This record gives sequence, structure tokens and C-alpha cells, in this order.
Amino acid sequence: MTTKKKAAKSSKSTGKSKPGAMRSTRAAMSVATNAHGTVKERVAALAEVPLAVCESDKDLQAVLNVVRNKEEAVEVRLAAMDTLATAAFSVIAFESCRKDYIATLREVAVDPDPQIRESALGLLAGLKDGFAQKKLLDGLKNPDKALVPPEKALQLLSYDVHAESYAVARDIVSNPPSTDARREALRLLAADATSAPLFEKLLRDKDELREVRQISASALHALKPEKLQEHAREMLLDTSEYEDIQATSLTALTQFGDDEAVGKDKVLLNSVDRLSNKAKSARYKKSARQFVSKYAK
Amino acid sequence: MLDLATTGAQSEEQFALLVDSLAADPRRREQLTELLREDHPLYDKRGTATISRMRGWVLLAFARTGLSNAALIFVLEELDTGTDAYLVAAAARALRSYRRPHAALAPFVMRALTQIRYREEPVSFENYGEYADSSADTSPVRELLLTLTWLGSYAREVLNELESLRVEREGLSNKLLIEVDRTVKSIRDAEHIEEIDSDDCCNLPTGLGNKISWAFGSRPGCEPIEQTVFEDHDGTSITFKEYFRGHPSIVVFFYTRCDNPLKCSLTITKLARIQQLLETQGLADQIHTAAISYDPAYDLPERIRGYGQNRGVRLDGRNRMLRAIDGIDSLRRHFKLGVNFIESLVNRHRLEVYILDSAGRIAASFERIHWDEQQVVDRAIEVLSEPPALAGGPDSIDTGYRRETNSGTNRNPAIANPAEAPRGNRRNAGPVFSTLASLGVAFFPKCPVCWAGYLSMLGSASLGQIPYSPWLLPVLVLAMLVNLASVWVRGRVTGRMGPFFLVSAGALAILLARQGPAFEKVAVWGVGLTFAGSMWSALSARNRRGLFSETLGKIWQKRFS
Repeated sequence: MTTKKKAAKSSKSTGKSKPGAMRSTRAAMSVATNAHGTVKERVAALAEVPLAVCESDKDLQAVLNVVRNKEEAVEVRLAAMDTLATAAFSVIAFESCRKDYIATLREVAVDPDPQIRESALGLLAGLKDGFAQKKLLDGLKNPDKALVPPEKALQLLSYDVHAESYAVARDIVSNPPSTDARREALRLLAADATSAPLFEKLLRDKDELREVRQISASALHALKPEKLQEHAREMLLDTSEYEDIQATSLTALTQFGDDEAVGKDKVLLNSVDRLSNKAKSARYKKSARQFVSKYAK
Repeated sequence: MLDLATTGAQSEEQFALLVDSLAADPRRREQLTELLREDHPLYDKRGTATISRMRGWVLLAFARTGLSNAALIFVLEELDTGTDAYLVAAAARALRSYRRPHAALAPFVMRALTQIRYREEPVSFENYGEYADSSADTSPVRELLLTLTWLGSYAREVLNELESLRVEREGLSNKLLIEVDRTVKSIRDAEHIEEIDSDDCCNLPTGLGNKISWAFGSRPGCEPIEQTVFEDHDGTSITFKEYFRGHPSIVVFFYTRCDNPLKCSLTITKLARIQQLLETQGLADQIHTAAISYDPAYDLPERIRGYGQNRGVRLDGRNRMLRAIDGIDSLRRHFKLGVNFIESLVNRHRLEVYILDSAGRIAASFERIHWDEQQVVDRAIEVLSEPPALAGGPDSIDTGYRRETNSGTNRNPAIANPAEAPRGNRRNAGPVFSTLASLGVAFFPKCPVCWAGYLSMLGSASLGQIPYSPWLLPVLVLAMLVNLASVWVRGRVTGRMGPFFLVSAGALAILLARQGPAFEKVAVWGVGLTFAGSMWSALSARNRRGLFSETLGKIWQKRFS
């Protein structure tokens, strides 16, 4: 106890501390915003101040200045953004700081540093901010203006189903700049009811990437569950289908299928029972056992 | 001249130019209001953020040129239900260009302030589509405070609420607190206006409101959509005709992916409240409710069921959540829904609740600004009480909409209902007739000699011409019992049995009075109690929109439809 008190007293007087040592919020804020401190110390100090950052206008402006200052180390700027994002979770306490926070994020969303841009756009996209959505869409339509890679832009746009992103995502699926971008475009389209036929096609395409087929199964479950049931049955009866895809199909039928219809489907039950004995994959065997034990009765 | 209906392919920049040109031309300025309709083709296939920029620019055009009466409802809608900082700020600024402050506007501004304060952000009005990135820019809270300052003494009703923002302290920034203080002071110091009339304080300016009624002869038929197939929350299929004909219905629209808590989520929560009110008044089996999804492709039965149950909605054969299997288009045309889409997803919609009559036709609607559950139930009860012949059957001829708008906050709206006045007269005549029957029973002569005595007394009024009619007594007794029964029915429907007990006591007193001369004086009390009970019952029923007559209407419908 005495040691802890001494450590706290010491840090208060010097403004410096060893990692893990206790110090006052005021001391932590002082370290966090001190441009002469080390990166490590400042990042650690910023992690301690989210609850205090909005208590005084002076502290808020000091942390916002860290975020805006291009001369600061990127790690410190990112830590300052994290601190503000954490503080913003407390909506009521953060009310008086929100306006300055949003203004700062918009300012640094076009920062020269890609990490800062991505972080700022991510935070704004989470708030369904129109400015961020416009920048992200502009970047997808015109890659020269892109502030973040296309897969990241699609991921951030998917935070808001009301963003104008489905048409762009479809274009990317047809003409993908990268595999990652195509995958994220499909994830985004998983909320678009009119894309169900696309997902049916991808699900049954054995030449497609497994991940894409998994995404398609998940999307169909959300958009047209009855179609997923139909395809799942057909894929289970298809002896040339991959085991992991069959395992996914089994899970879909076990968890979400029409119990009565599946229970009466002797062809399906026999097929699963037969295939489970031959299966190489432990996952498939496990899924098959669960399926048979549920419906064989 | 640009044709507004065929400009759907315009870019945002072209749209901004169009708005600016309309605002600059006094002869075409009214067309700006058209651009605030959600279903305008210009908003097809746009994202919500884009629509926010576009509508915001229209509101700012009004702020420059003056807000018309026709556009006022759109501004109030934004203040009432808006959660987008830019739109709320633009609406607040536009309101300040209205021709004069009005006390009824203050609650809208205060409500917006309460709702938007946790979504505060900088906004810029300088150029189209510009997003502010400086804390020096204005904000929705600031614009709303300025609007309260503009309202001046007309905002006195919300002064306490405004001052409570100052007391709470932990929320608003110091800069805004200074502005709150300034606003409070300006409201206090504003020149004292004439004592606000009690109606004036609560009602919107004449001709504005969220309630629209269709007169009997002008209701559009439901033939175009009666074969529309819905799937309900349990996956059961049912057509419009099967579900909506044969009884009035209250219909709301919603979608589960709506991210505005003041719209769909609140609408469904209020629907649950409506169901409770109907249940309390014993009308749950006579008035159906339905919540129809704007987003039927995504809102599968399981989703809408969960959405309803989580908000306390009762779900059964008379209360359903529905999705149109073949899409929303036919319903959109029929109801003229205030909604638009980006592909299959809603990009913007208004609040809308409809009351359908027993022929499935639209009898009334409440649009844009928040509706009062009791007011909706009251209107549905009026529709329930419409005589079957007037309520319109399959052969009714409809000549298109004739909308009649009234003030949204008025609790006694003028209803476009031709049967309203005569029904009121009938209701006034009821207690008088029933009291006359009781009077007759109480003082009916017991024998021909007494009859002669009565006649000699009334001879001067020429009543001596009435012959002695022993059959008149049972007729009067029957009339008294009919009155008793009607008061009982009213009591059951309105939940007020006091009148029934009074009339019962009166009837017993009259019966007692007929047992012998010793009790004759009791008859006066009997007649008095009957009269008081009948009047009380009639007034209660009037407050509940004629439940007595609607119950009779229901019996009539059951028998003959």
C-alpha cells in the first residue's frame, strides 16, 4: 500500500510513470498531450484518459490537437482517436464534445497518412456520417480519389444499409479489382434482397472460392431461407460436392430447416447417414451425426 | 421550364441548380414544395445521405425565400421526427422564414432540440453538399435555439423545458449554454403578446395538420388491390379483400431496417398502444389492426413477428403484421405512400397511419407528424359507427380523393362526415324521449276515472281529445326498458356504468311509485334520476364518438351484411 502511494505521488510530481503504475487523470492527460514525451508513454497515458477527456474544454482541445497535428507520431494520433472513440460511447457525457469530435474526424479523414484516414473514416462510417459515405463512394467510383483500399471502403459502407452502395458493389463483383474487394462486395450485398439470385448461383458454383460460397450460404439464409434449404438438400445429395460445403448445408438444415419435412425425407437421411461413414472431415462427421440423431428418430 | 416529374436522372449538382432557379422565380417557387414529397421521382434510387443533402437544400431555399403554408408541414415533420443533423438544422432555419411566429410551433422546436442534442455536429449551409469540418460552423442545436429566439414570447410554453437544459449542465457545451441563456433571456424579454387563446396555443395554423379525412362519396375503392396477397407474421397467406373487408381497420406502415427510432420503431410501439385502447373499450374484435412492411423482400415473417413482439404488439387473426408477397408497388400507388426506395430498400419515408372503412376504403389518414393513439382510435370508432349503407359496399362509386385536412393537434377535429350532424341531433333527442317514457309510466292513470281527471285538468290544452288507451302503459314501459338497455350498452362500451345505475334507480323508483298512493311522490325522483342518467350516458357516448350508435351499426351489419 505504501509503495503504491509513493508511486502515485511520484508520478503526480514528475508527470512520468512506469507502465502499470497508478497516476491521477490530470497527470495522465499531461503526459498524453506532452509533445516531448515518448510515444510509448503517451500511448499508455492516452489509454487512461477516455473518461476525463470530455470533462474540460481545454483537455478536449488538447487531445483533438494531437489527432490533427501531422507532426505527431502516427501511433500517438491513433491512440488519441481511440481515446475519443471510447469516450464517445458514453453518449450523454460526450454530448458537449461531439461537435468538435466530428469536425476533427472529417478534417483528418483526408489526412496524408493512410492509417489516420482509415481510422477516421471508420469512426465516421460507424456514425453513418454522410461525409464519410460520400468520400468512400467517390473513391470506389473513381479509384484515383480513393482514400482507402476498395475492400475497406466496402466494409465501412456496409455499416449503413441505406448508403448508396449496392450498385457499386455489384459492379465490383462483376469486375473486381482484387479478391478481397469482391469478397467484401458480396458481404455488403448480403443485405440486398434483390441479390438473392446472385447468391444462389455462387452457392452452386463449385469453381467458386469456398469463402465466397460460405458467404453466399449465409446471405441466402438471411434473404431467402427457403431457397437455402432447397439448395442445401441438393448439395447434400450431390456426391461430388465438397465436404465442408456439405457440412455447412447440414448445419443450415439442422438449425433452420423445416423439422417435419426434413424428418420425412428418407432419401436425404439415408444419404447423410451413408456419406457420414465415408467422410474424411471430422467436422462433417460431427455435423452428420447431429443431423442423423435429430431426424432419425 | 423544367418538368419536375421527368427530371429523375439529374445529378445532385443539377438538382441544386433546379432548386436555386425555382427559388429565384416567384412564379415557380411553389414548385419547391413538390420537391419535399418523398415519392418524388427525383429521389428514386438515391441513398439516404444523398436525399438528406437534396432535401436540406430545398429547406434552405425556403429559408431564403420564405416558408409557405404548404411547406410548413414538411418542416414540422423534420423537427418532429428527424434525426439527421443537417436536415433538422435546415428545418429550424427554414421555420424562421415563416410569415409570423406562432405558439403552436414552439413544442416542435423544443422536441427537436431534445432529440437532436445527442447527435450534434457541425453543419454548413454555404454550398450544396458541403460538409462542415470546423467547430466554428453552425449546428442543429444552435439553429434550434435561434428559432426559439425568433419565436420570442410565443415560446413561453416551452421556457421551463428550455431552462431545464441549463440546470442539467452535464450535457451541453459551455458555448451552447451561453446561447441557451441568451435564448431564455430573449424569450423572457420579448414584448408581451396578447393572452394566447387556448385553442391558438395548441393548434397549428388553420388548414395545417396531420389528419386527413375522406368524405363518404369520395373514398377511393380498394378494387385495384383487393387481390393483393399478403403473408402475415406466421407465414399465412391472405388477400387484401379477405383481411380488410367487413370491418374497419387501422393500418400502419413500417420496415424493420428503419434506423430512425422516432419513426417505424415508435409507430409499431404505438400500434401496440392502440390495440390496448381497443381492448379496453371492448372493440378489439370489431376493429382490426395491421402493420404492413415497406420492405417486403427483406421483412420475412420471422422478422416482422419478432419486430412486433419486441414492441408489445398483439398478434392474432385480427391483428397482423403483413408483407405483400408480390412487392409494395400496388400498395404504394393505392395508398399514395410517402416513401421512396433505393432498389428494394427504403431511402426515406414519412409517418403514415390509415383508417379503412368496412369496405376496405381509406376513410382517414394521419401523416407526417406524430399521431395521438386515442385520436386514431376515436376516428376508427367513428368509421365503425357509420351506417352500413353509407359505409359503402362493393357497388359504391368512387370519384377520387377529396382530402379534407384539419389541425393535427386539435382533439375535436371537424370530420368530413355528412352523417355527423344528424347523428349528434339524434343523440340529443334520445334522453329526452326516454325521460318522457318514464314520465308517462310514472303518471299513467290507473283507471278511466283517473284518466278523466287528468283530461279535465289538461282540457284547456285540448289534450282532452286523447282517448283512454290502456295499451299505452306497456308501450311506455317497453320504451323505458329500451332506454335502460341502451344506457347499459353505452356503459359497457364506454366503460362508465354510472348512468346505468342512475337510470336503474329511476326505473325502480317509478315502479315503486305505481305500488300505491303512499309512494306516488317517489315518481318525481324516478323521473329525475332517469333523466339525469340518460343525459349523462348520452354525453359520455358523445365523448366516445357515438359508441351506442356504432354498436347498433355493428348489430345491423351482422344481421344484414
